[in-house]
Amino acid sequence: MPQLDTSTWLVTILAMILTLFILIQLKFHKYSYPLSPAPKTFKSTSFPTPWETKWTKIYSPLLLPQQ
Amino acid sequence: MNENLFSSFITPTMMGLPIVILIIMFPTLLFPIPTRLINNRLVSAQQWLAQLILKQMMMMHSPKGRTWALMLISLIMFIGSTNLLGLLPHSFTPTTQLSMNLGMAIPLWAGAVITGFRYKTKASLAHFLPQGTPVPLIPMLVIIETISLFIQPMALAVRLTANITAGHLLMHLIGSAALALISISPTTALITFIILILLTILEFAVALIQAYVFTLLVSLYLHDNT
Repeated sequence: MPQLDTSTWLVTILAMILTLFILIQLKFHKYSYPLSPAPKTFKSTSFPTPWETKWTKIYSPLLLPQQ
Repeated sequence: MNENLFSSFITPTMMGLPIVILIIMFPTLLFPIPTRLINNRLVSAQQWLAQLILKQMMMMHSPKGRTWALMLISLIMFIGSTNLLGLLPHSFTPTTQLSMNLGMAIPLWAGAVITGFRYKTKASLAHFLPQGTPVPLIPMLVIIETISLFIQPMALAVRLTANITAGHLLMHLIGSAALALISISPTTALITFIILILLTILEFAVALIQAYVFTLLVSLYLHDNT
């Protein structure tokens, strides 16, 4: 079986190491997958104070005691 | 007949120069480097394929295992493209060479195992003894697990070599049988030709599957060890 002829093994292994570990990796190293350029919606960092979380009718301007 | 049958597996040299080097390096020419934001069809298709494979393969790994992503995608693309190119008539398939497959399997397997020993020594040593074995069986089971560990790279290499070589040999034999049968009985030759076509379709599948299996197993050994 010609695969068992060890005289060519060194050349084959060296060529494969060169190709697989250097050449092919140099090609795939350059692949980039950028995120889509649509703007991200950002969450606000300020939180409403406890008395602002609930709208209560007494804050309506026409219901405040007339001054 | 023996000489003729195996002659396609001899490493090609042309007047003493080993052109096997050029043949092994040829698949790299088929993967152009993306230079633009939006590339041409070939590069976009290859990028899409690479992303598909990467997402599928790297999902099960820890962040440490994901550092091997470039190596694994290069491995599967290299073996896949080499196997597919070997299906062209009169071409030489480097993955039929046991030397190349051993050269791929042993360093990758050893890298995974040594990584496991360095970072998770107790857990990798624990792989040698499955849970819940009865105490008298322990020495024998440790020996069996050690043997099965060391046979992993050999099995990887020989599996790839044997599958691709056997496929190529079968195609060669059935093809020459079909050719010889034309002058004897054309119907039998037609049947043999149809068998050849089915076999070629099988070989396309085998080419891709073998690449996948090789890479999957390396990835599995990596998962065990990270």
